[in-house]
Amino acid sequence: MADIYTLGMDLGSTTSKGVVLKNGKEVIGSSIIDAGAGTTGPQRAFEACLKDAGVDRSQISNITATGYGRNSFEPADLVISELSAHALGVHTMYPDARTLLDIGGQDSKVMSIGKNGRLDNFLMNDKCAAGTGRFLEVMAKVLEVGVADLKDLEAKAEQTVSVSSTCTVFAESEVISQLAKGADIPGLVRGICTSVAAKAASLVKRLGVEEPVYMTGGVARNTGVVKALERELGVKITVSQIQQLNGAFGAAVYGFGRVK
Amino acid sequence: MSDVRKNMDALRAIAESPRKQLDRVLAEGKKAVGVIPYFAPEELVYAAGMVPFGMWGAETQVSESKRYFPAFYCSIIHTALDLGIKGEYDGLSAVMIPLTCDTLKGMGANWRYGVKNIPVIDVAYAQNRTIPAGEEFTEGQFKKIRGQVEEIAGVKITDMALAKANKVYNENRKECLRFTELAASHPQTVSLTDRAMVLKARYFVERDAHTALIKELNDALEVLPEEKAKGSRIVTTGIIADSPELLGILQDNGFTIAADQITHESVDFRSLADETIDPVMALVKRLSGIKGTSVLFDPAKSRNTELAEIAKAAKADGVLWVLTKFCDPEEFDYVPAKKILDEAGIPMLQIEIDQQMVNYEQIRTAIETFKDML
Repeated sequence: MADIYTLGMDLGSTTSKGVVLKNGKEVIGSSIIDAGAGTTGPQRAFEACLKDAGVDRSQISNITATGYGRNSFEPADLVISELSAHALGVHTMYPDARTLLDIGGQDSKVMSIGKNGRLDNFLMNDKCAAGTGRFLEVMAKVLEVGVADLKDLEAKAEQTVSVSSTCTVFAESEVISQLAKGADIPGLVRGICTSVAAKAASLVKRLGVEEPVYMTGGVARNTGVVKALERELGVKITVSQIQQLNGAFGAAVYGFGRVK
Repeated sequence: MSDVRKNMDALRAIAESPRKQLDRVLAEGKKAVGVIPYFAPEELVYAAGMVPFGMWGAETQVSESKRYFPAFYCSIIHTALDLGIKGEYDGLSAVMIPLTCDTLKGMGANWRYGVKNIPVIDVAYAQNRTIPAGEEFTEGQFKKIRGQVEEIAGVKITDMALAKANKVYNENRKECLRFTELAASHPQTVSLTDRAMVLKARYFVERDAHTALIKELNDALEVLPEEKAKGSRIVTTGIIADSPELLGILQDNGFTIAADQITHESVDFRSLADETIDPVMALVKRLSGIKGTSVLFDPAKSRNTELAEIAKAAKADGVLWVLTKFCDPEEFDYVPAKKILDEAGIPMLQIEIDQQMVNYEQIRTAIETFKDML
């Protein structure tokens, strides 16, 4: 029987991700472009993903789009919500997952997943940058470091400089004030990570924590936030191997299910 | 079918042009009185020969009202005051402002200061509205309001006129209720926006005129064969759910509203006035009997158990909790309601809306996911 290739695109607010899947299981290509919906990012991620997989567009049986820009991605055969895609993605890779926290560039979402992989319940953050990747971006800019550098700085922290978790704009002012007072930078970064974690943890607690808990999304790369979340929730959190690609992976799995 | 469309379009046109309706009323030489939510005794206005005019805010950006209310405030009240300051309600002879929730308690004073050309009729209810002392208090208030309305109208409100008003309103309520059932059984013919606009139109025209139109629509719908829902059946609950964007998203995802527990919709017309008793007392008793809303005090919180019962009776697949942003009473009710629905095995999605929203993408995502879940 010929191989079936499906492609999942997760078009987020700040990044575009793609995954090519062979026979519904094997990831043979992927791409992450730091440009989200409404930019050239989706098309670039699409082309990069095909190139990485070494397959031609004509060989793809199904393209499923998810994420904020899903409805405006013309090549898509199907669209699914990112929550459904994430739940499917994590269940396929980690069938034991019961709770999934995904923190992206603009929003955070938490999902309860049933034993059969069914999405039982979910919550999304309200219209607020606190508790999302955007919060980290704003703070990194104030600290004049890259977002990727935050986890290394946090690892050096010996104390926590408290930062508000209520509002990104107010928290930014707090960080500037702390810097003006000569606050310890690693401690401040730990405070920033704790702030994101506190906000996200409140969402998880509202839905209810059932172990095992997994985490995906760009913010999952920040070990400082993950550790702070574990402290806040009192549970172990496993970061998905495919972190940022989980939504695109879930979309590709969904597409495979449709063409199989 | 053409009668159905014609009637729905006529009612939609009314719902979508409140100012035009007010201008028509004024051009006909009638007086109109604004009615701020919730549950003001507008039958008194009708009985005095004037036209009650609903003021549930509007989908608009506010500017002027921010001088009086903080930004984090109920959008219905914000937009109603904003439109008042901007002259959108000019021509009204008065405005009834109930003191039903904490947000409304500041509205009367702010309206008096910001909209000097439209006098206020304060509407106070007893918090414990169902006990005899509470009913006695509310009766006293309604009698006082009756006098104020008479002064504005320049006519005496006879018991006979008020009894007739109660009858007219009851007839309208029955037809509205009938329409919600027919809309649920004809989801292909009656879109969710049609449903909302048909019901909303009653706030902007004389009730008997609305009854005539909706009855004709109901009669035409009733002879059509029942239609199968394309997707899931839900019960909506909350204060107001008339946003065309929200309803469009629900429609796109194949949802049918099997029943509602929306204060702006069924909660308002499910409770009838007793036509066999004193007409003022009938208004009081109607208020006592209203269930299913967070804005009227109910120590038993029966709204939440009722919600589960409505969902079961309507054979709904799930419940959509339409939370009006910054509405504390709704927020407080959500927690026990969620527990009750979880125990009953009824899935629920909460979404948050306000009348200044321009981007519904997060809501679209949540609703699409809810559809997948169901």
